[in-house]
Amino acid sequence: MASVGSSNKESVSLNIMPMMDVFSILITFLLISYSSDPVMVDPKQGLELPGSMTLVGLDEIPAIAVTKTEIFVNDNRVADVVGGDVPESQRSQGAIQSVYDELIKLKEINDRLAEAQGKKPKLGSLVMEMDKAHVFKLVKRVMISAQQAEFVTFKLMVDKQSE
Amino acid sequence: MSVRKRKKRTTQEYEDAELNIMPFIDVFSVLNTFLLTSAAFVTLGVIKVQIPFFTNSEDQSKPTRTLEVKVDAQKDQIVLDTSYSMAPVQANKKTFPSDERGIASLHEALVRIRTDSKDTDLVTFYTDDDVTYEQVVKILDAIKLRKENDPVFSIDQKGDGNNAELIDRVFVFPKVVMGSVIL
Repeated sequence: MASVGSSNKESVSLNIMPMMDVFSILITFLLISYSSDPVMVDPKQGLELPGSMTLVGLDEIPAIAVTKTEIFVNDNRVADVVGGDVPESQRSQGAIQSVYDELIKLKEINDRLAEAQGKKPKLGSLVMEMDKAHVFKLVKRVMISAQQAEFVTFKLMVDKQSE
Repeated sequence: MSVRKRKKRTTQEYEDAELNIMPFIDVFSVLNTFLLTSAAFVTLGVIKVQIPFFTNSEDQSKPTRTLEVKVDAQKDQIVLDTSYSMAPVQANKKTFPSDERGIASLHEALVRIRTDSKDTDLVTFYTDDDVTYEQVVKILDAIKLRKENDPVFSIDQKGDGNNAELIDRVFVFPKVVMGSVIL
């Protein structure tokens, strides 16, 4: 125990028990929250998620992230976002060419995996994180790109809020 | 005599014994720092939606008279459209402002529709290009999620087995199709 010995030989001890109590509670809380989350993901830097009352937790790592300035597919930067939209040079028939190219590769991998497991290839599902300030035009472009690559179910990542 | 002496010394040792909890505190501190730095203080969730997809396979199901529910989110208002797929169509249209109160009224209207038409569990959601993603998510919440005072709807979820009860407690309309996502 910490003690201070002085010339008059009086011993002063620091009571660290309250600190230990706080530490124990904090560690218990953090360990529980750590183990109860199936997926630990930090939203991309500078990306603000919309709030939602949903009770459905995140169960997969997001495949598509649309920040204020860039689009990522599986952490690879594939397109730019300028003024809330993708530049025309990176678009094709309303979709985003590079997003489609990346997703079609992902689709092929999923199909091969399903075949190897003796299952029928099925339509894909994607988790998407997107900045809340974007307009639906950009959401639509990303979704159309995914639709062309046969991904038809979207899990929109949100910041869970209580009522 | 010697035995007595030994006993006395042992008792003395016990009296002075002190548990050294410093290594314990060290471990706690390191663990605490690690957990605090790696903890995610934003709780993440998901809202599941579908986008339309066209297939060449023939639809084998017999056409039945079902209620079609459409929500159209525009910049300043939200339009709720209901009609039956077969005559009598009984088309009905309601408009709500796109503020908090309007979204709450939309939710109440959807709960009423769901209460009256228990077999309908799908909403087609149309959105204008200039509506923000934040607003889209708010409207999706109003369409999909059951609030505390809402009735519990029984939803036939094939293959969801153990989750069926959870789905009943959580959703008003579990299926949402983003109707605007078409080339």
